[in-house]
Amino acid sequence: MMDNVIIGQYIPGSSTIHRMDPRAKLIAVFVYVIIVFLANNWLSYAFLGIFTIGTVLFSRVPLPFILKGLKPILWIILFTMILHLFMTKEGPVLLDFGWTAIHEGGVVQGVFIALRLLFLILLTSLLTLTTTPIDITDGIESLLAPLKRVKFPVHEFALMMSISLRFIPTLLQETEKIMKAQSARGAEFSSGPIKERVKAFVPLLVPLFISAFKRAEDLALAMEARGYRGGEGRTKLRLLKWKGIDTFALIMVGVLIIVLFLLRS
Amino acid sequence: MNNRMLMIAEIAIMSALGIILGFVKLSGPWAFGGSVSLEMVPIFIMAFRRGVAGGVLTGLMIGILQLIINPYIVHPVQVVLDYPLAFLVVGLAGLFRPKSKDSYSRRIWLILLGTFIGSLFRLISHVISGVIFFASAAPEGTPVWLYSITYNSSYIVPTFILTVVLLALLSKTAPKLVHGE
Repeated sequence: MMDNVIIGQYIPGSSTIHRMDPRAKLIAVFVYVIIVFLANNWLSYAFLGIFTIGTVLFSRVPLPFILKGLKPILWIILFTMILHLFMTKEGPVLLDFGWTAIHEGGVVQGVFIALRLLFLILLTSLLTLTTTPIDITDGIESLLAPLKRVKFPVHEFALMMSISLRFIPTLLQETEKIMKAQSARGAEFSSGPIKERVKAFVPLLVPLFISAFKRAEDLALAMEARGYRGGEGRTKLRLLKWKGIDTFALIMVGVLIIVLFLLRS
Repeated sequence: MNNRMLMIAEIAIMSALGIILGFVKLSGPWAFGGSVSLEMVPIFIMAFRRGVAGGVLTGLMIGILQLIINPYIVHPVQVVLDYPLAFLVVGLAGLFRPKSKDSYSRRIWLILLGTFIGSLFRLISHVISGVIFFASAAPEGTPVWLYSITYNSSYIVPTFILTVVLLALLSKTAPKLVHGE
């Protein structure tokens, strides 16, 4: 029941996309998610496709990892395709079954929506495939920095994210250890009547939560003992560096916006 | 100890636990899409121990962590509704925070109420997200509300029941854990 737990999707690599500043990637993906909706004819979808697939190839992430990310979206794509095939009644009839007919408009709309979902998932998963969660956190902290003026605790927010990410593997190990210990005592987590399985969670959760709260207390104490007092004047171990390629990437996104506006009908 | 520091550490560690408990699944007949897991348990525990602020912040963190660890993005509005907001509102359970000296039956009622409200708001957030997504992807005339409500309740309702049962059991066996000192 906890098999194949893989936290995060990051695939180490040395491509240009991997080495880009996380801020540039975050801005690019953010803009991309919105402008995907501009495409509305074959030409604009074709251009969007060239841009998206080009970026994916450029990242040199092995194909199996990309395809794995697409798996959960297949059902939605299939479902919306079928809806469009039978419900969109536009254009000439392609197939007539008597009780219903498939129109050209339905096929075209279905393919467009499928392409849009495909491109969205491709590019957004590329962000997590090429950027470590901790880099994303640093990027978010830096992008949110202006919010400090309105007293939004940007630093504390980023600190909590980093602590969480740091402790996920540790707590995962602990969870597995407790699960094994309780299984050895006869707890059944994945088979047997549902009532017994639910009950089996209690001896898992109690030690897990107690040790987690203990850890939090130790951590807070350790931070205080080392004189931690917030973000003011604090220096960083990992510094973000904006390079020429980052500016170039954002210019490319700008070009994509302009071309999409020109091509759409 | 500095209470603010302790709060930061607790929220961070509980969010990490939320991500992990998201993998602890209860398999059953609800297998189309969303899954029934324990990911909301840490949010409710923080909400009942530390009130709305603890719950809401833990929820927000879990939502954002899910988003940067394993995103599933199909629409700009869906991103906000399915991740940060959906889990943030779970923390509203803290409005019904029981006191540790309350009787067991009163604690159970408050836990039931809090968990219900938290799950209900999460359901609403996912349902609206689904409707917005379908409105942009499915043809006109699709019963988007029906689809979205059916799909999302199919896993939120069993998750809610599982969570309530577990929290009630925890409140009995480990009251200090759920309600603080």
